[in-house]
Amino acid sequence: MTTSPLAQAVGDLEEETAVTLVQDKLAKGEAALSILEELQAGMNIVGERFEEGEYFLSELIYAADIFKKAGAPLQEELKSATQSSYGTLVLGTVKNDIHDFGKDIVATVMGSNGIKVIDLGVNVEHQAFVDAVKESGATLVGMSCLLTTVFDDMKDAVQTLKDAGLRDQVTVLIGGGPVDQATADYVGADYYCKTAQDGVIAAKKVLGVN
Amino acid sequence: MADAHEPNAGPGGPGGFAPPPLFFERMQRLQTAVACGTPDRVPLSLVMDLFAANTMGVSYPDFVSSVDIAGQTMLGAMEKLGDVDSIQFPTYAPDVLGMLWLAPMKLPGRDLPEHSQWQMDEQVRIQREDYDKILEMGWSPWFGQYIGKHLGAAAAAGQALQEAGPRWTMEYMKKGYVVFSPLTVDHPFEHLAGARTVKEFTLDLFQIPDKVQAVLDLIMAEKREQARQFVRAVGQPGLGYWVGSWRTAPEFLSPRLWNRFVWPYMKELVEIVAEEGGTPVLHYDANWDREIERLKDLPARRCVLELDGKTDIFRAKKILAGHMCILGDVHPAMLTLGTVADVKAYCGRLLDEVGPDGYIMAMGCAIPPDAKFENVKAMVDSVKR
Ligand code: B12
Repeated sequence: MTTSPLAQAVGDLEEETAVTLVQDKLAKGEAALSILEELQAGMNIVGERFEEGEYFLSELIYAADIFKKAGAPLQEELKSATQSSYGTLVLGTVKNDIHDFGKDIVATVMGSNGIKVIDLGVNVEHQAFVDAVKESGATLVGMSCLLTTVFDDMKDAVQTLKDAGLRDQVTVLIGGGPVDQATADYVGADYYCKTAQDGVIAAKKVLGVN
Repeated sequence: MADAHEPNAGPGGPGGFAPPPLFFERMQRLQTAVACGTPDRVPLSLVMDLFAANTMGVSYPDFVSSVDIAGQTMLGAMEKLGDVDSIQFPTYAPDVLGMLWLAPMKLPGRDLPEHSQWQMDEQVRIQREDYDKILEMGWSPWFGQYIGKHLGAAAAAGQALQEAGPRWTMEYMKKGYVVFSPLTVDHPFEHLAGARTVKEFTLDLFQIPDKVQAVLDLIMAEKREQARQFVRAVGQPGLGYWVGSWRTAPEFLSPRLWNRFVWPYMKELVEIVAEEGGTPVLHYDANWDREIERLKDLPARRCVLELDGKTDIFRAKKILAGHMCILGDVHPAMLTLGTVADVKAYCGRLLDEVGPDGYIMAMGCAIPPDAKFENVKAMVDSVKR
């Protein structure tokens, strides 16, 4: 897979180039979702360089800001969809993890596909998922997790739903950079979602929507 | 002057009484270690706060309410631990941390539940426009009005410590304990990063680097003189001054940023303290592996490198042997969750591989509040083998 100029700009921390490229692409009528994928590929470059010791926390913080800024004009298009709601998703980044871009995209994309989202934010206590499900009667729970070191927290969060007697009533979707099917099996989730779009497909399947 | 060097707890001086011989014996031990020599036995130097409260059965709200209760409690814990050469500061008031990070503190019993550790209330308190204001007004005038707005409790704590520090230092001396490093000289980066928050300040470093540097230079222009005068006025050769690193650790910043915004200022502050006869104590939290070589550029056999368990202390020793004394680094988790046997084994390794020359046995950073007493005691006793 070759790296697109946009992904490269994000990876190289070239803020202005990244912002301009997104605007050009939008002007040319490219779909917001595909532009988003390129931005995300750029974040993967950043992650690789961090792992290799070329980038440090300072670069992660700057990359995160570039991602947010460059991606801002996409929000409109990602949001513009139906108003009615097919069901409710309680969403959050699990305890001890504060990464929120992926989760925010999930919230936007789900919302734009007619699913009501209750966003609990980041570093979410296990019990908060339970409380929100009880309060809203949600049938979907989404957990985002970007740190392998926090998989056990995600496992505990699922267990807390079980302990509260809610596990049969909800479908648990999980996602985030290092998460895969094995993670889903390990933590006891129902669906592993590689992208926010996968999440929508899974949610619609569960809710019986086409 | 509080901005250049708020005290850990004020200077202390021998005032009209003769400390016991034990005091001089311990002082000798510490000075030999600082000069990278081999003392009769490896000395100890502890940092503790709420651990002392737990050890002495003092409640957290009481401990943080008065510098005298804190001093009494910490001295009590030292006596309970027995043969400890030194403590780094003699009393404490956590509000004073506000002078370092320009943010108010939340304290147990005041802003938090009674049995919680204090926290810094980090928020974006200055905007990018404030950099221009600082450049216009000058650092001290700007900081004066900032204290008025946000740091009343911090300034009061600083004053209380300046008054109580010398008094309590004397109480420790009477009992034969050395107060090793009661004063601080702060890096301007720590101030700005605290007032801006780490995230916003990091973005500033990428997006408006020249302005940030101008502000750091302006603060430094005042600090370099203040620090020099201060160490001179205290006038106790060999007394330790923390030149610490928290947000400036290489772990958080790429070399490009670190070389520009951290190291030049750090190096100069250390040199000033040393030139004036103080002992710079490099209280470096987080991982410094990448830049250990750099410490060879600091004055030889004058500084103490205090590590918290994240830096590879054994590797640091290999690089700095004969050049810089190392202090640390029994890990907080080991003191809390480990067993006496774990602590003994690790301390043995420290004594063999980081000691016996140019080494001071200690915890990493500070003894955690919930450390097991027997584990701390095992660390203390380890040097007597
Ligand atoms: C930006 C970033 C940060 C920023 C976060 C800013 C923020 N507000 O989110 C900051 C600087 C704060 C940060 C901090 C840290 N980070 Co970080 N960070 C990243 C980075 C570069 C990008 C993450 C990102 O935003 N990606 C873009 C988004 C859009 O992708 P995504 O989250 O995967 O989401 C998509 C899908 O996965 C999916 N999805 C995600 N969640 C969910 C949930 C559901 C329900 C569904 C359906 C779908 C779904 O949908 C999204 C869109 O398709 C990654 C590298 C990488 N390649 O991921 C490292 C990375 C995740 N971080 C890492 C590390 C180590 C850290 C720190 C520990 C660093 C440190 N030394 O302090 C801290 C941890 C702080 C904490 N307690 O959480 C490591 C994790 C390694 C590991 N063992 O797991 C990574 C992988 C970097 C690396 N290669 O080493 N980080």
